[in-house]
Amino acid sequence: MELTEIFQKVELFNGLSISELNLVASICQERHLQRGELITSQGEPGDDLFIVTQGFIEIILEESQKEPRKVVVNLGEGQIVGEMSLVDQGPRSATARAAIDPTTVKVIRRADFESLCEQNGHIGYIVMRNIASDLSFKLRHRNLSERSR
Amino acid sequence: MNVYKVSYVVIGSEHPGAIMNRDHAPVVGERITLGEHEFEVIEVLNLMPPRGDFHYIHATVQLVKKKGKN
Repeated sequence: MELTEIFQKVELFNGLSISELNLVASICQERHLQRGELITSQGEPGDDLFIVTQGFIEIILEESQKEPRKVVVNLGEGQIVGEMSLVDQGPRSATARAAIDPTTVKVIRRADFESLCEQNGHIGYIVMRNIASDLSFKLRHRNLSERSR
Repeated sequence: MNVYKVSYVVIGSEHPGAIMNRDHAPVVGERITLGEHEFEVIEVLNLMPPRGDFHYIHATVQLVKKKGKN
């Protein structure tokens, strides 16, 4: 399947034209992960955004004074990981690792993404709007999960 | 081409739930595999209005089968 076909099913790129999807595809790299392999570590700096195209990524909050280490959600096909660091440039808010074999992600480096957005403001607007929507969706999921406990 | 972004919340289990895209909306009674475990959908609701081809769904599920067990 063409990368643009895959990206048409990723909310992050909802609203981009085929030519814009091709531009995004040109700055993506693919990573195949083994179960347990880390892609982010909580508290560490990070420059990459990950798009899950196969398998699941576990999002883990590390042990704190109040709570033990725990998995808070599994992100599957079409979901993004690492978007907070892309937006605020802060340290990773959680640890993320491959939950099953096989798990595959597309990787976008922040510098490449920012360069692309400087060349094409429409891509920047659409992707940032969709990141906001994704964060909202994840917050709603978290709220519903907490209520079910 | 509709894409259904689904928030799966698990009840009665320590499983943390999942978010993933599907090519169809979940329906009550459907069985779904999340990672290594199988779950049954017991409730479905729209979480946000659709935008373009994307639909935003919440599904409550319960564990049916753990890996390696019938």
